[in-house]
Amino acid sequence: MLPRIGFAGMTHLGLVSAVAASEKGFGVVCFDPEAGHVRLLTEGRWPIAEAQLDELAVKNRGRLRFSADPVALRACDIVYVAPDVPTDDAGGSDLGAISALLDQVSSAVSDETVVVILSQVPPGFTREKQRRIRNLYYQVETLIFGRAVERALRPERYVVGCADPAQPLPARLAAFLAVDGCPILPMRYESAELAKIAINMCLVASVSTANTLAELCERIGAEWSEIVPALKLDRRIGEHAYLAPGLGIAGGNLERDLATVCTLADRYGTDADVVRAWVANSRHRRDWALTTLWKHVLTGTQDPVIAVLGLTYKENTHSVKNSPALALLDNLQSFATRVYDPVVSSPPGTRPRCHRAASALEACEGADALAVMTPWPEFRRLDPAEIASRMRGGIVLDPYAVFSAVACRSAGMRYLTLGSPPKD
Amino acid sequence: MLSHLDPRGMCPARTVILGAAGFIGRAILGELLADGCSAVGVDRTKVDLLSPDASGRLAELLRGEDALVFVAARAPCKDVAMLVENLVMARAVCDALTRRPVAHVVYISSDAVYRDSAEPLTEASCAEPASLHGAMHLAREVALKSAFPGPLAMIRPTLVYGTDDPHNGYGPNRFRRLAAAGQDIVLFGEGEERRDHVAVKDIARLASLILRHRSAGIANAVSGDTVSFRELAEFTANAFSPGVAVRTTPRQGPMPHGGYRPFDNRAVLKAFPQFRFTPWQDGLRELNARALQSREPVRGRS
Amino acid sequence: MISHSQLAPQRPDRVVLLGGNGFIGDAIRRQLLGRDVNVLAPASADCNLLDPQSAAQLQSMLRPLDAVVMAAALTPDRGRDMGTFMKNLAMVQHLAAALAAVPCTHLVYFSSDAVYPAELSRVAEAAPASPRDLYGVMHYAREVMLREVKHVPILILRPTLVYGARDTHNAYGPNRFCRSAAGEGTISLFGEGEELRDHVHVDDVARLTVRCILHRSRGTLNVATGTSMSFRAVAQTVAGRFAPRQIDIRSTPRVTPVTHRHYDVANLVKAFPDFRFTAFEAGIAALVTDLQGEK
Repeated sequence: MLPRIGFAGMTHLGLVSAVAASEKGFGVVCFDPEAGHVRLLTEGRWPIAEAQLDELAVKNRGRLRFSADPVALRACDIVYVAPDVPTDDAGGSDLGAISALLDQVSSAVSDETVVVILSQVPPGFTREKQRRIRNLYYQVETLIFGRAVERALRPERYVVGCADPAQPLPARLAAFLAVDGCPILPMRYESAELAKIAINMCLVASVSTANTLAELCERIGAEWSEIVPALKLDRRIGEHAYLAPGLGIAGGNLERDLATVCTLADRYGTDADVVRAWVANSRHRRDWALTTLWKHVLTGTQDPVIAVLGLTYKENTHSVKNSPALALLDNLQSFATRVYDPVVSSPPGTRPRCHRAASALEACEGADALAVMTPWPEFRRLDPAEIASRMRGGIVLDPYAVFSAVACRSAGMRYLTLGSPPKD
Repeated sequence: MLSHLDPRGMCPARTVILGAAGFIGRAILGELLADGCSAVGVDRTKVDLLSPDASGRLAELLRGEDALVFVAARAPCKDVAMLVENLVMARAVCDALTRRPVAHVVYISSDAVYRDSAEPLTEASCAEPASLHGAMHLAREVALKSAFPGPLAMIRPTLVYGTDDPHNGYGPNRFRRLAAAGQDIVLFGEGEERRDHVAVKDIARLASLILRHRSAGIANAVSGDTVSFRELAEFTANAFSPGVAVRTTPRQGPMPHGGYRPFDNRAVLKAFPQFRFTPWQDGLRELNARALQSREPVRGRS
Repeated sequence: MISHSQLAPQRPDRVVLLGGNGFIGDAIRRQLLGRDVNVLAPASADCNLLDPQSAAQLQSMLRPLDAVVMAAALTPDRGRDMGTFMKNLAMVQHLAAALAAVPCTHLVYFSSDAVYPAELSRVAEAAPASPRDLYGVMHYAREVMLREVKHVPILILRPTLVYGARDTHNAYGPNRFCRSAAGEGTISLFGEGEELRDHVHVDDVARLTVRCILHRSRGTLNVATGTSMSFRAVAQTVAGRFAPRQIDIRSTPRVTPVTHRHYDVANLVKAFPDFRFTAFEAGIAALVTDLQGEK
């Protein structure tokens, strides 16, 4: 008899995890206290965009049950608690919602139910909650926006936080996790809570290093893209290392983790200066598009028109949290801008000089400069010659190297990207 | 951040203390004399640093083998006029040093030169003062550095406590006097700001070590610990009997330095491995005991 | 790190310009007049900030709707000692006293990049302004003194090296190079002139200041172009202006160690995204022409 899995909190994390569990053959109860939200889900109207999510949800609809009544969770053997943990601008977490949801869940389920916290919480949170919930575990989630379903279906490993890692995991939980055949790593709560942060710190370190050296390349006359393959062939760095320079950390999760490490360091008196340096570097990179546009376009052209492709902070997601694209538009309010994003229909707020284009090419109409601010895959299919013919001017800012530099230059455009010296 | 020119630690030929009548100056003079070092205090009656002939009179007084401790100040520096006066004094000292260079100069500055930080401040922290008082001290430090090429030590103390504090500053000094007089201790807000407090005798002992080792560089005179004003008040209130009450009041303005100013004092401990800063509990206990015996009156502005 | 109190530019009632006869002050005055702004630039005879009387004189001159630009200072060529330092402080002491009595709507204070320690190679407004020399600490202290004045919104401008025809200081760099090239046909560099510095034309400084006045901007802003060049490159650009006349660029022993200085101008760009700096070549061309005109 397969364990019945419950998911409390129909957020991006909860939904993706629930659908993945159903795809693996488990009966799933999806609970969310918001009745309106549950109704939308029951009608098949997903509020999030993730590859494969829609098809899999339709395919497994027999195994997915949505409810706004916590009593529905009573039938579950395992309940994952996966609400969003909102972050403020300083990266600090608001733990009110998850605490409330945990209370709701623990009141609804029996003492035998295994409750697993899936949302990212600061170290110490789970042990504090364990006083009230007997079978409480913590599991590190490693979803990536834009590739979440794939990550949920094929996890690399499970990191499970326990009150006492020497004790075996409850049979039902072990059975559920064993289905994927990947390593299962039990450890104490605090280690698991820190594990996710540790993963993210390593990623930030790698990207910050890439940013720092890429900026140097731009001045020295080196080409960062030439250096990267050499790095990836070094086993200590690895072929999957995060070495693409970017426009700063965005999305919310990484910022939260950086802030958590600094807060913990302050509290325990450890050195986290390097983390603060990463944060400073991220802020500095965020200005690249604006200062580059300033240098090449804004001061030379009379009333320039700027085309901006992409509004989200990352491709294949709907989130604009801390998005560099929006930060750029905020600073271009006094200029005429034309924007297009495949998912987000228009940038938030009133922007009198901002035109919402229906397509990427339409956004380029009459523009003096184009900034590709989010590397959506569909932008890679655009033809630079076609873009050039639509534009009035010829400046392309392509921080993520979505286009081929050669093709852009052949089309007569001035091509500017991260990690590459501007060529005239 | 301190380097010693004299590892043996011998008394300077003579130490001249400018500002010997003040709280810290008096303590340094007393400490040096107790150590058996030759020291002389110079106060306003001997040389008025604000008078036009101050630099001449000071230069006449100084000898080449002297160590000079410059602690005279109009403090706390609250307005532009005071800042200018303090710099006039510094100018007189700088001019005197140019005319008559001495062997060693020790300047008593202030932690007010440091930019606010939530992480513990050290001698390497950024000296970017936000206040007039801090700007005054930074300017005096830079002026001395420009005028005196010899070994120069800057001691930057945090909040100072001890008996005979003439300012009756908010903190242990005022609390002790109030409690000794049987009056309630009144806190700003809840007294929640956590600050470092250093005993004046620690500053004096540190100055003596610096003088005897002819040290140059920066030394923060800080205990390394922070304590809230509330805790200080309650500690003091309980030391006296009949015990007094600790009262809170609505806060009038924002907390200085964001209500938290921690220090890491390992650099000084490394420079002087036998030296220890007095923990505030021990320092206050000693002062409270003495006050109990003598029941000193409440004085100064409240 | 500056914000505009007025999003749409608006001329103030009047600008009181202190130091209007100086290098930067004069350029500001010309720009303001060109924009039809009412300017009062008291001459030394009417108000000498070194004189304690000036506090009262200024007080009687100032009106609550004035914008005050403080560009008066004794620069290092007038003395690097404490005497000059004290005089500079006195000037601000008198200004602060006048402003305490008549709080104006806006105060623009011309500080200096000297507040930043010399070895700081990348400067943004958030960089520690921790001056190590008397000139730097003088400006820093003046900043703190003026920030203490209540009820007067303040903008602190910290310019990098400024060049232009009316520079009386003959500062090492474009100013001195142009003069010595025109005069003796030589340019002397310290060492090989490797140090990278940001040079801004005085008219650009003035135009930016006027924008700040019209927007009643407050905060702190470094006035720099964001592009640094070596003194040798500067010398070569200057020499190029005199062609076909050959200008001899010489090395002399270095006085200070090599340090580089770059400015991160993101804050300036965010505040004024359409502000254009004069290209260096054009600025030098204008400088050489102006100097020839002076002869």
